[in-house]
Amino acid sequence: MAKKVSLYGLLACLCLIFGYLESLVSLSFIAPGMKLGLSNGIALLLLAKRDYKGALAVNTVRILLSTLMFGTPMQLLFSLAGGWGSLLVMVLVCRVKRLGLVGISIAGGVCHNLFQLAVALPLIGAGVLYYLPVLLLGGGVSGALIGFLAAIIFKKMKTNEEK
Amino acid sequence: MIKKWDILLFLSIVLVALALFGGAHLFGAKGECVVVKEDNEVVYRGKLAEDYTLHLSGNTVVVEDGKVFVKDADCREQICVNHRPISKKGETILCLPHKVSITVE
Repeated sequence: MAKKVSLYGLLACLCLIFGYLESLVSLSFIAPGMKLGLSNGIALLLLAKRDYKGALAVNTVRILLSTLMFGTPMQLLFSLAGGWGSLLVMVLVCRVKRLGLVGISIAGGVCHNLFQLAVALPLIGAGVLYYLPVLLLGGGVSGALIGFLAAIIFKKMKTNEEK
Repeated sequence: MIKKWDILLFLSIVLVALALFGGAHLFGAKGECVVVKEDNEVVYRGKLAEDYTLHLSGNTVVVEDGKVFVKDADCREQICVNHRPISKKGETILCLPHKVSITVE
């Protein structure tokens, strides 16, 4: 138990560092406020090890800490909607045997953006739908990239464990 | 490592996104009106041709030369300020922290 807690703490810290790195590299020329979603790679690795609770814990701690330190209450709402929503979808999609880690990540990336859009719709108005195409595309592409990275790392982890 | 269905999922999402892009651009005619909403309520509606400066609680919205842009915002990210000026029908600038949307109609 203690070993797990310390591992989750370490991973949550890593996510915070990823968040900081992402804030340095603006992808706003693709879509306003777009991020790569490196933290999702951590969640993916935990999902790949079938540690759903761990993924939820790390994700939640990351969101709470980063918005407490750098964010606004609005951001907390959007982050939780995107983070929890996409995680739920990824856990469900894990059951689909035909999809690999890349496919799970794509579903997560797209759904992260869709859940945020769904929260923004009643708060801000129908104008947000203008961003639907670019959010779909951005979520799909970044999801595929992160999924590919996670798949490579997962493979290395397995070969290391066998040694 | 990459399964066939991963690629299928990716391609279908790209296709849907491109179709939506195409749909939006078919109607991408020059707009006439500017509608500014705060908390999903209209706070300003005016002609794109009329220059105007609108001061909101956290943002300054400027209509100039048939285009709309956000001149200032007091948030950290400055996403709306960095957005290019808009003038086509349907184009929207958002400010999530202040729940502001600026749409050309």
